[in-house]
Amino acid sequence: MIEALGSKTIKGVSNLGRFSRFVGDTAVTSFWSCIRSRTYPLIWVQMNSIGVQSAPIVMITGAFVGMILAIQAFNQLEAMGLEEHLGVLINVSVVSEFGPVLAAVMLAGRVGGALTAELGTMKVTEQIDAVKSMGTDPIEYLVVPRVMACLLLMPFLIIYADLLGVLGGYFVSVIHLGINSRAYWSFSANGVELWDVMVGIVKGFFFGGAIASISCYKGFHCREGAQGVGQACTEAFVASFISILALDLALALIFKGIYYSFWPVSVML
Amino acid sequence: MVENKVNNSMSEKTSNGLITLKNLTKKFGNNVVLDNISLTIEKGKTTVVIGPSGCGKTVLIKHLIVLLRPSAGEVYFGKQRIDNLPEHELDKIRTHYGFLFQGGALFDSLNVAGNIMFPITQHRSVTNWDEIDGLVKMKLALVGLDGFQHYYPAKLSGGQKKRVALARAIALNPEVVLYDEPTTGLDPIRADIINELILKLQRELGITSVVVTHDMTSAYKIGDRIIMLDNGKIIADGDGEHIHSNPHPVVQQFIKGQVGEDDLAALRMSGTIPQPQFLPEDFKP
Repeated sequence: MIEALGSKTIKGVSNLGRFSRFVGDTAVTSFWSCIRSRTYPLIWVQMNSIGVQSAPIVMITGAFVGMILAIQAFNQLEAMGLEEHLGVLINVSVVSEFGPVLAAVMLAGRVGGALTAELGTMKVTEQIDAVKSMGTDPIEYLVVPRVMACLLLMPFLIIYADLLGVLGGYFVSVIHLGINSRAYWSFSANGVELWDVMVGIVKGFFFGGAIASISCYKGFHCREGAQGVGQACTEAFVASFISILALDLALALIFKGIYYSFWPVSVML
Repeated sequence: MVENKVNNSMSEKTSNGLITLKNLTKKFGNNVVLDNISLTIEKGKTTVVIGPSGCGKTVLIKHLIVLLRPSAGEVYFGKQRIDNLPEHELDKIRTHYGFLFQGGALFDSLNVAGNIMFPITQHRSVTNWDEIDGLVKMKLALVGLDGFQHYYPAKLSGGQKKRVALARAIALNPEVVLYDEPTTGLDPIRADIINELILKLQRELGITSVVVTHDMTSAYKIGDRIIMLDNGKIIADGDGEHIHSNPHPVVQQFIKGQVGEDDLAALRMSGTIPQPQFLPEDFKP
């Protein structure tokens, strides 16, 4: 048993080391790729398939989150006579937490799985070796465009999710639950700070980077055969999901610290 | 005695070497796939590597271009040691190579023209696309597939995929082309077309070729030199005549395609094939 535990620990540390090196290589190559014009068309193609095509599903997710929050929170606030404050609760929750996290989870499912499957199949059919054999760095050609596209477009997807979340919450609160529209927006405007919106958007960079890096890594290191590719896709989604939650916690703590240290000063200035 | 012969023949061939392996060993975990192999690939010649499935032929050919790094030993391209180079330096060296993968390894997302253009566009800043189109046309004509530029790999037959992959492998006019099982899975006529292409490339472009195969017809036809691997070691090395008359029992068994006594004994031990027990009563084969 101790031997098995030791073996698993060594394997885990070794995988973590390999992943760190992969992320390091990707970061360095991304930096150099920024000055090579031939990378831009590749990033553009990935932006279309990763970002543009994900927009509808992310917007639908955002809208439902806003609507569900309105339905669930109304009764509690009504019991305290605070139903006109419903907008604050919905909008703060959507822009700082639910919008970014659920948009990232949707992206991990839709794009992460596809990236792992695509790169995994390329590995199994020796296409990644073929890229190498022709003197091209597969990290530069295959990974950097995907990571850059995720990194750059995730914040925009979060803005879409936020926007639809806010609108979804508004329609249910005002049209279905009968809350006064002016009061709804007035309390929302007072309760939601620019900081909340910014935090959500900044989280998007981290989530996008994590999803793309994990998915590409799993694709590059998947085992042979259809089962290997399938397993890599599952592992990529699970790892991405856990990373999103862990990053969300870490970023929430960091941003809270920053907020209490610096934000009041900047507002006063 | 056989090993002495192998070493002597190898040392004679080091004068015009393009790629050299020195004491190369490759292990995957505890499994030793290549065991202390020393080999020199001669410039302008076709070297064929034969051997039973799983003997390490593909692992050997991947070491020649450092797609795999050795567990021990050294790999040289010309006089430069390349097995210890970082990937970005290897990228430059690899432009001297072409590699025909067993399944072709064509990029699914690109059409035939895109596949052949790929190495060119990666290493040249393209200003004149007409020139690139002309180059693609020329490479495809060389493998007899001009007109297939807009086809995607999924629409091609096995033989066509290999020919397109060959056109891509020679797109950068490499000094050496490595072929991993180029005729496997093809009918004899298509296989012979590939053999003729390999000979044509050597004859007309002076390309050095290393071919991994278990097709003996192909090996005798194209090989200036044939090397046989078994259990990670070179057990025979010489021209077709030398291999044909080699007394080593494994070599003779392989070139004649005969099953060994051990395998036959194992088959006999497995007994008769049992009758199916769960067929429906009215089943008639």
